[in-house]
Amino acid sequence: MRIALLTESGYPYVTGDARLWCDRLVRGLEQHEFKVFALSRSAEQEQQGWIELPPQVHRVRTAPLWSAADEPGGAAADGPGAGGRRAYGRRQRRRFVEHFGELAAAMCAGTASDGAADVADRFANALYGLAELARDEGGLATALRSETAVRALERACRAPGALRAAHEARVPDLLAVAALLEQALRPLSLDWYEDEEGGLGSVDLCHAASGGCAALPGLLAKHFFGVPLLVTEYGVQLRAHYLGGAGEGAGAPARALLAAFHGRLAAEVYRQATLITPGNTHARRWQEKCGAERGKLRTVYPGMAAGRFAEVGEAGESGEYLADPGTLVWVGRIEPAKDLVGLLHAFAEVRKEEPKSRLRIVGAPALGEAAGAYLAHCRALAAQLFPDEAEGVHAVGDNPVSFEEIGGPDVPELADAYAAGSVVVLSSVVEGFPISLVEAMFCGRATVSTDTGAVVEVIGGTGLVVPPRNPRALADACVALLRDPARRERLGAAARARALELFTVEQNVAAFHSIYLEIVARCPVRREVLDEDGDPLPFAHPAEIHLAGQWPSGTAQGTAQGADDAGPGALKGARGGPSWAESGRSAEAVGAREAAAAVVAEAVARAEGVPESAPPKAPAPAGPDGSRTPTGAEADAPEVEIEVAVDVAELFGVAAQASPGGEPVGAGVAGREGEA
Amino acid sequence: MSKSRTGVDDTPAAPASPGGWDTRSEEALAAPGPRTGSADGATRKRRGAADPVKALLHRHRELCERAVDPLEIAAGLEAHGVTDRAAARYRHRDVFSLAEEMYARVPRDGARTSSVVAPPEDRPVVESLPAGWALVALLPGIVCAAAVAGYELTAGRGRLTVLVAGALVIAVTLRFALRHGPLRARRRPVSGTRAWSGFLLLYALCGDGLLDGALRGGPDGPWPLDTAALLGLGLAFAPAAWCARLFAVRARRRLAQSRGLAEFAAGARPLLLAVVVLYAAALTGLLVLAGRFLGQQGPPLGAALLGVLLLLARLLTSYGFRRAPALVLGCACAVEGLAVAAAFAARLPGCGFLAVPVDAVGAGAVPVLACGAGAAVLLIRAARTLARASAHAGGTGEPR
Repeated sequence: MRIALLTESGYPYVTGDARLWCDRLVRGLEQHEFKVFALSRSAEQEQQGWIELPPQVHRVRTAPLWSAADEPGGAAADGPGAGGRRAYGRRQRRRFVEHFGELAAAMCAGTASDGAADVADRFANALYGLAELARDEGGLATALRSETAVRALERACRAPGALRAAHEARVPDLLAVAALLEQALRPLSLDWYEDEEGGLGSVDLCHAASGGCAALPGLLAKHFFGVPLLVTEYGVQLRAHYLGGAGEGAGAPARALLAAFHGRLAAEVYRQATLITPGNTHARRWQEKCGAERGKLRTVYPGMAAGRFAEVGEAGESGEYLADPGTLVWVGRIEPAKDLVGLLHAFAEVRKEEPKSRLRIVGAPALGEAAGAYLAHCRALAAQLFPDEAEGVHAVGDNPVSFEEIGGPDVPELADAYAAGSVVVLSSVVEGFPISLVEAMFCGRATVSTDTGAVVEVIGGTGLVVPPRNPRALADACVALLRDPARRERLGAAARARALELFTVEQNVAAFHSIYLEIVARCPVRREVLDEDGDPLPFAHPAEIHLAGQWPSGTAQGTAQGADDAGPGALKGARGGPSWAESGRSAEAVGAREAAAAVVAEAVARAEGVPESAPPKAPAPAGPDGSRTPTGAEADAPEVEIEVAVDVAELFGVAAQASPGGEPVGAGVAGREGEA
Repeated sequence: MSKSRTGVDDTPAAPASPGGWDTRSEEALAAPGPRTGSADGATRKRRGAADPVKALLHRHRELCERAVDPLEIAAGLEAHGVTDRAAARYRHRDVFSLAEEMYARVPRDGARTSSVVAPPEDRPVVESLPAGWALVALLPGIVCAAAVAGYELTAGRGRLTVLVAGALVIAVTLRFALRHGPLRARRRPVSGTRAWSGFLLLYALCGDGLLDGALRGGPDGPWPLDTAALLGLGLAFAPAAWCARLFAVRARRRLAQSRGLAEFAAGARPLLLAVVVLYAAALTGLLVLAGRFLGQQGPPLGAALLGVLLLLARLLTSYGFRRAPALVLGCACAVEGLAVAAAFAARLPGCGFLAVPVDAVGAGAVPVLACGAGAAVLLIRAARTLARASAHAGGTGEPR
């Protein structure tokens, strides 16, 4: 299968965002052929080069998003910032004004006007209109920077029914919006959209590693060639846009217009994507809020390398990695959002109950001046709260709270940090996907964490959760665990089992593998089959393959859905039936294998230039059965968590606390967990 | 208002408007009971949890006032650690609906939004220039003066050496000064622009004398050079740079103040004209002074028009419009070159008619016509293009 991996400021670059994940994905799926289409964010990023690419990456095409790509020499267009090949003629200019005006109008349209669906359609049509213009004329950059564009923007802003903020836009706002739009729409001007080898038209699947601008080439590939699009978002791009302070210096009108653009772009990406894979429930909620259909969403947790924690995790608390029974460990980057002050206060409470306990704070080297100041503040507070203490009159004393760094004499490796404690504490006030918590779970350590970000979703009942900013609750939970080694062991083992089930690299790769197969089986690219002379060959594909329906098939159990337009509605209907529950996993495996075989057969046929005879390919059995692969099962997080929790409970005799993700967990969490 | 609500009777009437209160907060006031645990009852009493969203609004006031839509507030709240479970404490299903309430409750009037936009004077208006650019702009004048002095003080072979060396030094200085001043081009000018400019300057120096000689059947030996024109033009480089800076700064300020594109264009055109007139006046003054000083007579009209032409060409180039200047400069060169060529070609047998038009206007009128027409064309062009807001949008481009 040929997969185009679309990244923005990401994969092949050494400083890329999600490069680790992409690298593991590409290396894990070596049977596929990858082409990387990368957009870079800055000149430094390009200068620092790429990471080493495995052989299954056949081609890398890059394009900058950061400066006017003007070629040196004379023939460039006239005007400021003109980067295109040539200026437009009258007809092209009219076409540009029409589409760009439409785009601007869709951006400026208030929520109360024509209705959301109508506006979304207008936005999409304008976007594709611009893309077609760029493809025909070889670029948009000149036109997007020209006075024509600014004038079209102004007209849209002053139109009746536009956003209030847009009405107040002044000339600098308009210019700022035009410049940022030019940057955001730069993927439209690229020469990636061609049918030949190396273009986006020649792949079977586009996988966008993030939303926003990275998904834009995927949108166009879908529009031009019908290539299905898969969007993976570990952090939602729209949210990052808000938090990143894009257009910082610009006024409120410019920011409102840009936010509208990115919102509508996100909605269009979600609408066109065949499947969307958020990295956690938080991303999923944002995607739903931005208009993603629930039926398309499959949560695929990020995978983490479990290997380096295997020794510690398997040895448990008692093996060669002997944990000090009274030691609490905190691991992470030391910054105010982690609320170390709260942790120290909690530890003071713990010391009242358990005078022998110690706290080890293992922090990654802090970056920046503010982080250093915070570390100094925490050290001072620790020294104030806890005086040094010694074994006896003649021994040298030591503080019960120690600040250490990975690589120091006591903690040479990350795994040693977790191994050193019997309880791992996470005290954050703000948290995204808590990596240190997952690592602690891999190490089989009992954890106490605050209820922030994706913590509850990750821990899923295999550790204690307390409300944030509540040192007393944190202390109570820690003391409860410190006093009960058996419970610690049970929770640690359960946590390790859960982490190995959900957060390994292998599950991540396997999930994407089956998602790829499912997408290609469900909506393959329909290409014209050509004969030797290059003329289209009629009847190469029989008409039936465009229909969803029952296919005569040897092995597959379920209904085949071979049609392009098998919408999520059809899928949902099929899934609602009980067939998947009956057929079980063996049928799924057969289905997946069948789908793979079909893909291979098609690829071989295409490679040899032999037109496929009717029926051209094995009916893709990725109907209800195929789509209910293990990934599908993991997608519905709360459901799975219950299952896992129950399994684990049976194994270890823990009274299961079901469904932590589903219901609101308020201040009562600690108490409820305490009863377990 | 809150006093009367808590029962202290300082006003007899009930509050006329609900103010910041809505039905949700009324409910919250009526039933402040069971959602907070009994353990932190003291906290509740201390904080007065009647309208918890109000406190939240106060805490995140800046975020809410800055936000352009509810999602931005939601993103900001999440970044401050507010989760869905925290939102439940504010009687909302999730952070999004809490953010919507906050967005709706923030006072949002015209005064606020306009105050958010920083006053234009506070912003860095135009791209910064290398330190001392205003002094660098004086360099070409100084070098020209030195070259002219050398020329006047020497004779014979020494004069030739001074001419060649002077031309080289002036070219290098000019290039340096252009790159380090407000007249720097954001992108490399179209090829030929520099050559045309050099030719026009050369013609201003020696073209009139050559053409005059050719029409009279000469030239016999070295003809007099118009050093006053060269000196005046060199000295006028500094006012040119200052005028360009003035235009950039004023245009940016006007840009920040205008509400619409038409308004900006209406203001920018007179500004451009004023700047060009100012420069023309300064240039004429300098040319006249230089003529007096060097004892050369004759109206400096051709040189003045050449200066205006060069300023407009460079101004357009520096704003990224590169083709029109190259074309117009090329045309002016062609006219002047053709005039000289026609004067010489008229000596061929049977071609005497070629010199008639040049003879009719006179040698001194050729640069006036060529540069005057060119300057007029570029002025019209500049009045159209430099009045566009998009021309002043950049400013981050790298100098070439």
